[in-house]
Amino acid sequence: MITAERKPITEIKEMIAPYKKVLVVGCGSCVAECASGGEKEVGLLASALRMDAKASGKDVEIKEMTLDRQCVYEFIDQLTDVIDQYDVILSLGCGAGVQAVAEVFPKALILPALNTTFIGQTKEAGLWIENCRGCGDCKLGYFAAVCPITRCAKGLFNGPCGGSKADRCEVDPDVPCAWQLIVTRLEDMGRLDLLCKVHPPADWSKQQGKGPRKIYREDQRS
Amino acid sequence: MDQKSAGLNITIFFCQQIDPEQDVNRRALEKELGRRIRFFPLPCSGRTDSLHIMRALESGADKVYILTCPEGACHYREGNIRARKRIAYTQDLIAEIGLERERVELIALPAGTSSTIDKLARELLAREATLSPSPVRGKLN
Repeated sequence: MITAERKPITEIKEMIAPYKKVLVVGCGSCVAECASGGEKEVGLLASALRMDAKASGKDVEIKEMTLDRQCVYEFIDQLTDVIDQYDVILSLGCGAGVQAVAEVFPKALILPALNTTFIGQTKEAGLWIENCRGCGDCKLGYFAAVCPITRCAKGLFNGPCGGSKADRCEVDPDVPCAWQLIVTRLEDMGRLDLLCKVHPPADWSKQQGKGPRKIYREDQRS
Repeated sequence: MDQKSAGLNITIFFCQQIDPEQDVNRRALEKELGRRIRFFPLPCSGRTDSLHIMRALESGADKVYILTCPEGACHYREGNIRARKRIAYTQDLIAEIGLERERVELIALPAGTSSTIDKLARELLAREATLSPSPVRGKLN
């Protein structure tokens, strides 16, 4: 899931200040799961902005709408009939959602209300943790499904740094040592032999340095 | 001056366990004060949601109370603890738009409280008005 956090309201207010008609658009997928951009968060933000406008004596119309997914055309298309009624779209989608909406409506002004943060997991209610960097060269199969690039503060591929204390990372004691997890899990699975493999440095060219990445699948195209 | 005399709009979310006869007991007060008072019974204060409170404030409430069972005595174990967290979130949110945090207040009733919702509401109305009418109210409210 893509995680995100709402921008401070002062920043959002500054962005929408010149406009009279605002449509706050949420996304019912990832950002709903991380409680930053779903239908409820759209309601909270829109309500706060309306109250702020009213208290300031500003004549602003702020409406709400939530798409099931803000990064897929079939869902974005639901905006087609209403988008002309607004001066600006305040998106509570992730960065991909904001850009996808902007691409579908080239003349519309789309503003982000969220700061997109990381690919992560809902660890427990109210806690989301980063566990994937989207490196494009997944090696979880060698590391007992614990990513050393993401979850080891030093991103070490070939064993622990030796600095952990009581199974916790020396950089952040709130975080478990990824290499402790890897070794323990491999031990439990009887696959400590995987530790004998020496891994070359990560090939970051699969993630960065060539502009935006794309995945092309002929079989999925119409 | 008390909150009733100050003409403040009061909204009260409350756990139904506080007063099983709340549906009958609040009628007289609702009739007396009309839109100046609004009750929202909840099956448990843990059902409290920031969005409900924001909508209440946006609808013209000057003060929103959330009445919960005494801490440690929630019928659903920790509903009132969850309510407290959501109130804190809502207070932070309204502070971001310049509203006083005090416009939203959680009251965990003292252990052993045996009262009716109308009596509790009258006690709240009799409190000194420390807030002015909400700037959000506008002319229509």
